[in-house]
Amino acid sequence: MTLVAERRRERSRHPLRAEVVRGFGPWAGAAVLLMLTVALASNSQQWQGGWAETRERLHTASGLLAVPLALAAGCWHGGRERRRRTEELMTVSARGPLARLLASALPLVLWVVAGHAVATVLAWLATWYRATGDSPYPVTPLTDAVVLASAVLAGHVVGRVVAWRLGAPLLAVGGYVGIGVLTYGTGENALAHLSPVLDGTTASVPVWWQPAAMAVWAGGLAAAAVLAFAARRRAVAVLPLTAAIAAATLLVQTGDGLWHTGPVARRQVCDTSTTPQICVNARYEALLPQVRKALSGLTGRLEGVRNLPVRFEDRPGRPARDEVELPMLTPIGRSVVRGRLTDPRQYAWEAGMALYGRAECDRTDPRVQRIDDAVENYLAPSALEKDFDEMYAKGSEADRAELREQLKARARLRGMGEQERRAWLSEYFATADECTPDGVPTL
Amino acid sequence: MSAPTLRHDRALAAGLLLYARSRTVPRALVVLLATAGLAVWAAHSLNAHIDPDRRVPVVALAPLFAAAVIGSSLHTASDELDRTAVRPWWRLRALHLLALTGLAAALLPVAVLGHTSVFGPPAMIRNTLGGTGLTAAAATLVGARLSWLPAFGYVSAVYLGAAGARGGASGVWAWPVQPEGGTASWATALVVFLGGGALYVARGARAEGPRS
Repeated sequence: MTLVAERRRERSRHPLRAEVVRGFGPWAGAAVLLMLTVALASNSQQWQGGWAETRERLHTASGLLAVPLALAAGCWHGGRERRRRTEELMTVSARGPLARLLASALPLVLWVVAGHAVATVLAWLATWYRATGDSPYPVTPLTDAVVLASAVLAGHVVGRVVAWRLGAPLLAVGGYVGIGVLTYGTGENALAHLSPVLDGTTASVPVWWQPAAMAVWAGGLAAAAVLAFAARRRAVAVLPLTAAIAAATLLVQTGDGLWHTGPVARRQVCDTSTTPQICVNARYEALLPQVRKALSGLTGRLEGVRNLPVRFEDRPGRPARDEVELPMLTPIGRSVVRGRLTDPRQYAWEAGMALYGRAECDRTDPRVQRIDDAVENYLAPSALEKDFDEMYAKGSEADRAELREQLKARARLRGMGEQERRAWLSEYFATADECTPDGVPTL
Repeated sequence: MSAPTLRHDRALAAGLLLYARSRTVPRALVVLLATAGLAVWAAHSLNAHIDPDRRVPVVALAPLFAAAVIGSSLHTASDELDRTAVRPWWRLRALHLLALTGLAAALLPVAVLGHTSVFGPPAMIRNTLGGTGLTAAAATLVGARLSWLPAFGYVSAVYLGAAGARGGASGVWAWPVQPEGGTASWATALVVFLGGGALYVARGARAEGPRS
């Protein structure tokens, strides 16, 4: 009885099972997974922690690396029957050519998409662990998966047609070059919107129908290739081809209108208890406590001081009249790495310089420069200040005299009483962005 | 020259020609020449004189494809027949690998002449050697016809992942995208070439049956 039962179980296995679990498919899936993992892991400090950055990095790696590999893998797999010399044998099977092609190609599609899916999940886990706000963007990897599946199918058809040993590597390198030229081609390149790599910035999201149009564009081309090669009525291929052309026209015509600033990127979260208030973009809201802590020395010393901007803002575009821009948290990998501020002191100095930089002035009076230096030294000194002082101390007589004046000015500001200094700073900040020295209070 | 020696030389030449044809070496030579031509054209059209870094795609992809061509040429349809012959195959394998690698390493640098220090001829030669080492090792392990796959996966992953990675251990693992002929990247590429080449010369390409 046992023997009979075992035999029945063996017989009940679906014929496609062997295609799925054996052969080239698992290797191709592993290659996609490994390649994406290496490409992502080697610069993880530039995306880990930011969901939009993770989306962009995954999207670029998938479009630029995995699509050529999927094309090549499909091409290699498409030539399998020829290598095995079983083409003639297959033609006498009961199934039609389309069913035979799909039975051979779809398991590979499954593995390639699975490799991409696992890489996506790994990247998401890495970002979730150090997330700074925002939420995952699942639509982009789903669209990428459709593009990858289309690439495998298209490559498979090429592999069936082209009987050349170098077809697969040539398709891989050619695919890479083609996508590169399509995406980064010179000048105004409207066709770039057809590329599986091009996307907006980290602050932008695509319009709702862009992923669908991209899926129809890529899927339509692959379906047209498959049907033209293997369908009983080849003219049916015109239907997906028409859909692909329609989607492509829509993408190219819309152009830059495909992306707009995301609703999360337009918002900011604020701490209104400080002077000035501190606002951080909602995409990085979890960084607010760290930013507040980094700026606590600066904001603490500015308490009670008048004529200051109302807040540090962190939204796309220029700040309003009574606001200044928060020092940049992005691109991830500089000020912020893996959800942590890398150098709070430098960050506080940058925030201070946003308040009293006089960056727009062509020339600043030496007296005003000394006063600015004293304020900078008191509120948020640069990490390099000591080095500059040492450099001046070793410099010419004029440099040493200038350093002495600077040290005197710093000492005078620090030596003031609390009330006196607050009043002086209020007067100073009323003229902090003026290039003429007239109104700047003396020290 | 005596008659037996002449006959021996002719037989040797005929043997070499047969060997080359059984590995489609003539076609590989044509493709390598075409690759070099395309690389020259691509490097020129990228306007690399403005910024040598623009040559990275050429310096990464041209040697990769040349390595794929060389790796694929290690395949023979007469593998089982070859095994019946009593001759030291390792010499022919070494000659085959070295000749094609040497040709690729001589042709491809023409594309990036000028600005030799950043992504110039030394980087091209290094990548040709390293890439060929990878495909030769892959030919021994997974078969010659699929030998392009590991090299392509590795180089393209490093190309995107380690763009701009300098110093530290990156010279070792990101050797294909290092701009200068640094010691670490050269040492890695040479080790890969010698290791992969030696593996192939000693073992030959993996036998590929009708089911592969």
